[in-house]
Amino acid sequence: MTTLAEFQAKLQQAIVDGDNQVLDQIASSPREEKSTLLGVYQNAYVSRLFDALAEDYEKLAALLGDQQFDVVARHYITANPSRSPNLRWFGQAFPEFLRAISPYCESSVLAELATLESALNDVFDAEDAPRLELQELAEIAPEHWPDLSFESHPAVRRFDHGTNAVEIWRALDADSTLPEPADLDEPINLIAFRPEFTARFREMSPAEATIWDAAAAGARFADICELLEAYDNTDDAAPAAAGFLRGWIEAGFLTKATLPASRQSTTS
Amino acid sequence: MSGSNERPPYLGFGLGLRSKHYNEVLDGEPRVDWFEVLSENYMDAGGQPRHILNQIAERFPVVMHGVSLSIASTAELDIAYLTRLKHLADEIQPKWISDHLCWTGVHGINLHDLLPFPYTREALDHIADRVCRVQEFLDRRIALENVSTYVTFNESEMTEWEFISELAERADCWLLFDVNNVYVSAFNHGYDAKAFIDGIPAERVIQLHVAGHDHMGTHIIDTHDHQICDDVWDLYRYTLERIGPVSTMIERDDCIPPLQELVAELDIARNIAADTLAARAGKAAAE
Repeated sequence: MTTLAEFQAKLQQAIVDGDNQVLDQIASSPREEKSTLLGVYQNAYVSRLFDALAEDYEKLAALLGDQQFDVVARHYITANPSRSPNLRWFGQAFPEFLRAISPYCESSVLAELATLESALNDVFDAEDAPRLELQELAEIAPEHWPDLSFESHPAVRRFDHGTNAVEIWRALDADSTLPEPADLDEPINLIAFRPEFTARFREMSPAEATIWDAAAAGARFADICELLEAYDNTDDAAPAAAGFLRGWIEAGFLTKATLPASRQSTTS
Repeated sequence: MSGSNERPPYLGFGLGLRSKHYNEVLDGEPRVDWFEVLSENYMDAGGQPRHILNQIAERFPVVMHGVSLSIASTAELDIAYLTRLKHLADEIQPKWISDHLCWTGVHGINLHDLLPFPYTREALDHIADRVCRVQEFLDRRIALENVSTYVTFNESEMTEWEFISELAERADCWLLFDVNNVYVSAFNHGYDAKAFIDGIPAERVIQLHVAGHDHMGTHIIDTHDHQICDDVWDLYRYTLERIGPVSTMIERDDCIPPLQELVAELDIARNIAADTLAARAGKAAAE
């Protein structure tokens, strides 16, 4: 007699790989072939994952059209079986898949459009966390500012594009004429975020993106200023860095500012 | 398990909460007594979904219904999943938590389907132990739902209702009885749905599901994308005759109509329940 574990491995194999050895264990049915009834599970498996991808990447699906999206989605489903109990996370690796796997990687706009959609999905329902308030920074003594470090809010995603994927996203969103996919002369830096409950994104200048990336990775304010000084070729970037910081706080990009344990600390 | 063992309250007639209806639910006063929320839709979410859930939980009784507990799986219990489930329950205080008597995957893979298994003593021992562990972890009894199935197995040693009855007794859990699922499975496997209803322990049923399905001629698929058919309403009536008043809800997961259409369908359930339970009470008084 097959153990429950052996049985489950076999049924899973039938559903994922189409290996129908489990048919031997399935009882005859009054009205239908066993293989057809097993097929209900096999079809539902693909269909459910396909629907999840199509929902998460609706603009990519619109760009590709039904037939091409079907091919890409089925390829992804085969290569990346779901490993999370939550279907919400099934499509998380889709942008990376499109970036890495031929022939999709040959058209960078696909991975970049998927990255943008994934970022917007992520910030929309990312976990809640407090937002750093300007008032909290105002309470920190100026001599401590160089040691301040910051923490990105969970509902923020940073990414860069080398193609006109944003233009394509906007055209699809507005249901207007689609531009031809094209590489940009210079890459653009983007950030997705969630003011209140709506997912948004905006472009960042290369300087802002550089210091944001450093700040989000834990750099101290002094290091951020130094980076900006090198970038802008100036001796004192503190006012400019403080200006960026203010904008990030007002847009809700940050959840926390921290001083080293040896200093007075503030957390929101 | 130190949590309350009392039977959860009767909630009346509810609907599954769907994002399409958020505004109608919050802006209006829908004739809905309670909502069932899909645990996985909120357990990892902040932002608008969680904000709206909290608002709804303040205004309506809610129950949590999961699809990924995978209680029948031979994989290890997913403690990270259970922890998130518990956090959500701590936050929204559901009247109860339910999931399905099924498995959803092994070897680290999740098939996102409610999969069947042979009704054997081995499965019974395995699942009863897991239900006890889950209830201990969540510090409350859970309700398990019978699923629609499309295949049965030669190795089964008992009927589904015998399996459910013994499991509920051994694990001391509640049951969520899905009337449509019994209709679907009974048709697919050629047994009498009423035998199933007669065979389950009535006192453990705390919730009923009714839903629509897709009839393929030779078999029925549980799609939750149609109105409830007359045969399922007949079985609902039979279920109430057998077990008395139970919190009832309509499940609609696809081709979701405007809220008012579902509220109108819920009225059918209210009317059937009113008539059936009055007749049942009259009969009991006469005896």
